[in-house]
Amino acid sequence: MQNKTSICILDDEPIVGDRLKPELEDDGYEVEIFIDSASALERVQQRCFDIFITDLKMEGVDGIGFLERVKKLWPTSEVIVITGYGTLETARESLIKGAYDFIPKPFRIEDIRTAVKKAKKKVKHQQKD
Amino acid sequence: MADLATFSQPFKRLFGKKKLKPIAFTDLFARFQNILHENNTVMKIMADMSTKAGGDFVFDKKYLVDCILEIGKSVQRSAYHLNFITANRYLEVFEVIEKLVKDLEVELSTKTPAYQMQRLYYLDQVEEGMEEAVGYKTFNLARMINLPDANVPCGFVVSVAGFRDYLAYNNLFEGIDALMKRLEDGTDSVENVSRSIRLMILGGEIPPYLRQEILSAAKQIGGPKAEEMLYSVRSSAVGEDGDWSFAGLYDSFLNVPFGELLAGYKKVMASLYSQSSLEYRIRKNLSHMEMAISVLYQKMAAGRVSGVFYSLDPNWPERPESVLSAGWGLGKLVVEGEGPVDSFRVQRDPPHFVTEQRIVRKDRMIASTGQGVIEEVPAAMQEDPCLNPDEIRQIAEVGLMLERFFKIPLDVEWSLDREGKLWILQARRLHIEAAKQSTHESLQEIVGRQRVLLAERGMIAYRGVGTGPITLVETHEDLNRFPSGGVLVSHYAHPWLAKAIPKASAIVTDIGTVAGHMATVAREFRVPAIVGAEGATQVLTENMEVTVDAERNRVYEGCVDELVKHQLIKKPTFEITSEFQQLRRLLKKITPLYLVDPDGADFDARGCKTIHDLVRFIHQKAFQALTRPGESPRQLFKQGAKQLKSNVPLDLVVIDIGGGLAKDGEENSYVFPRQFTSFPMQAFWRGLSSPQTWDTEPVSVDFKSLMASLIRTQTAEVTGGRAPMINLAVIGANYLNLSLPLGYHYTAVDAAVGPSPRNNYIFFRFVGGVTDMTRRSRRAVLLSSVLEQADFKVEVNGDLVIARLTDLEKDQIGERLFLIGKLIGFARQLDVLLKADADIDFYAKKFADQMTAVKASGSVS
Repeated sequence: MQNKTSICILDDEPIVGDRLKPELEDDGYEVEIFIDSASALERVQQRCFDIFITDLKMEGVDGIGFLERVKKLWPTSEVIVITGYGTLETARESLIKGAYDFIPKPFRIEDIRTAVKKAKKKVKHQQKD
Repeated sequence: MADLATFSQPFKRLFGKKKLKPIAFTDLFARFQNILHENNTVMKIMADMSTKAGGDFVFDKKYLVDCILEIGKSVQRSAYHLNFITANRYLEVFEVIEKLVKDLEVELSTKTPAYQMQRLYYLDQVEEGMEEAVGYKTFNLARMINLPDANVPCGFVVSVAGFRDYLAYNNLFEGIDALMKRLEDGTDSVENVSRSIRLMILGGEIPPYLRQEILSAAKQIGGPKAEEMLYSVRSSAVGEDGDWSFAGLYDSFLNVPFGELLAGYKKVMASLYSQSSLEYRIRKNLSHMEMAISVLYQKMAAGRVSGVFYSLDPNWPERPESVLSAGWGLGKLVVEGEGPVDSFRVQRDPPHFVTEQRIVRKDRMIASTGQGVIEEVPAAMQEDPCLNPDEIRQIAEVGLMLERFFKIPLDVEWSLDREGKLWILQARRLHIEAAKQSTHESLQEIVGRQRVLLAERGMIAYRGVGTGPITLVETHEDLNRFPSGGVLVSHYAHPWLAKAIPKASAIVTDIGTVAGHMATVAREFRVPAIVGAEGATQVLTENMEVTVDAERNRVYEGCVDELVKHQLIKKPTFEITSEFQQLRRLLKKITPLYLVDPDGADFDARGCKTIHDLVRFIHQKAFQALTRPGESPRQLFKQGAKQLKSNVPLDLVVIDIGGGLAKDGEENSYVFPRQFTSFPMQAFWRGLSSPQTWDTEPVSVDFKSLMASLIRTQTAEVTGGRAPMINLAVIGANYLNLSLPLGYHYTAVDAAVGPSPRNNYIFFRFVGGVTDMTRRSRRAVLLSSVLEQADFKVEVNGDLVIARLTDLEKDQIGERLFLIGKLIGFARQLDVLLKADADIDFYAKKFADQMTAVKASGSVS
């Protein structure tokens, strides 16, 4: 059997992870959720995830900081940014720093599904190369 | 948006001594439009929040905080404008806003609901988030009250606050603590500690106020013969039926007479410390958990036969069967597993055939009439099965409806009385071991190999999965035959579909939006729904077995049992997250409309219970201030009002607040109907001027002339020298407000269409007449029957008719306004003609025929 695509979700509002985990698991992904960036970063040092989903505004290391660290550690992984402070400026900054997609909150579960599906394709492609 | 300087103007007008010049009418109207704008913003946020309750979106706390902030700002601006228009007549609105918004903020700041815990709640007072206060048994029963066919005996609960009061009043806290400590230290035995604490509780005295509250509540639920009735007194402890199963560890008493209700209270409380309950705590290491108990009182359901329904077989959950056990009399023996019971395996699919049954000799029972002791079953009944196939079907239908509502496998306690009425006594999660759940195939694979009938056509109004045979609903008759557990498929998302929604396992409509009324009802009853799925009624046909996947937005052919079971057993429902519960509680304080009748006694600022009430109040008062007092027609004409010229015998003054009238050559003091550009006014006028509306058959000549004079506006003599009342229409592109003091009637219509159906509404009020009250009431009955068939919510009081309608699509609102226009013309002298009750039907039919004729001619829209 093929290895499951792994996803790491980081959002300091627990509802985001709690809602997304069962939905993405239904789609056959392996999902871990974190509500603070410190523990997420600790885990990310230990293992690679194929896809990261992160909030932007958080205590300690914020979403942009997390995005940069992750991209350095795991360059073939992709990062999807979700935020309740969706402005053009924040979107631009995340994309420049290497985010794969930017989704403002609140969002439809379908929006994340589609973004994750596309990111997965890209990741698999990069990992082959 | 207005700046600060203009905001402070109301206060200058209040405190400044200099008399200010009257403000120009057009300026006042500009303010009125600001109010409409702000109110629209609030309604839009309300609609947005409601759709989020359907589970299709992921939102967080910040979203809720932002919504409340915006709502607060908007209603505050609206209140400023109102006070500007009315020269500060409604300053108390600010206080009301402050209070309502503060309530919402408090709701946001805590995870548990913001309420002061009462000692006693009636079942219908129990709200979301009160689980800890009243216990899960009571909480779950309270959630079922509004479900059709699930009869819950009426009752009340003495909450945890009552329990604490009891302990405090009798100074028991310290004594209990000391004994529990000895138990933890191991310095005393469970048996001793349990006995000592129970004796302390039983020896206490119920505080006089609590005694009083319990007895008067019992009288309330027992009715006039309360003191002769029998009651159940049951434990409803925190944790019982929740995460920890204390099931069966606490005492419950059945058939308790009125005189023993207070003693029963103490007995149930004492059972919190029963030996078995303390042992369970030690075993599960729960001794640190606070111990508290609430006590549920209900009127006894006189069970002829009672039992337990498992929606799934806990040992074999993949089987498409439910398990039912039943015994004679009350259910205590069945529930506690102490009596002989008949058992049945019942198909989950309708019509719920029995696949296997075991009928035993049932020699013992607790009769519904007795003292709650075990008696012998009459010999002739002992060998009989205690349920017939119809009764089995009835129990299975309701049990599975409850399973769809709670979205977990259920263990339901039920009782059938002598009249065949099915009572639900308890519903809780049926635990199914993880090992029993089949996991050989991934959900993705299962979903992937299904034949997809519809994919991503519409919008998800409520997330979830439902399966069953399709019933296409087009008429009210289709509704009446709608089967429990069916999939409801309809072209329109009609509001009247609401009647079938609690029975449906899923809903699909061609047309409709997630903010519409039907979608709101689907969310309320937690029925998975896809709306606006264009062409669905062409693909989905009558009786076809389907599975509606309102998670992936698809409809599959046949029943995808693995998916249904996955949802039921494994997947947590999205509503358990605290933000959802917060959202639902917030919506309860925001969206209901209680202030209905603008001429009602309670129509004042302090009567506003919700944000929706506030919006309605501000709108109405601003509007009244603009159009009613002291505005003579001459003044109005000076401000730009126009006289309407038409063939309809109705004097009407029209004021355009923007986009309601087209210019027609040079500026005149009059307008023609063809100049209406207001959507609601056009629709209304088409109805009012449609054929036959004004040619009622001849009444006697004298009367006719009288009526004719009355159709004209009342003169100063009639109105007692006050400013003459005028027939006035205030119109905007999407707005219509009519006040028609026609003759001795007074008719008012207020209607608007906006960016979403949530903004669309019609309000209609009709009162008065020249004849006696009987004839006028007949007309009220006629009007209400016509309006109800057109989806209005109608209230009738004597000759007063108030009708409301919301959440319809724009074109549907247009059709209803056409009907209202026609109805006003049609009904104007009907009171004279309604000489007998039988005439009501005659004229109702006549009106319906006329409507059918104009519909056929295509002139409605």
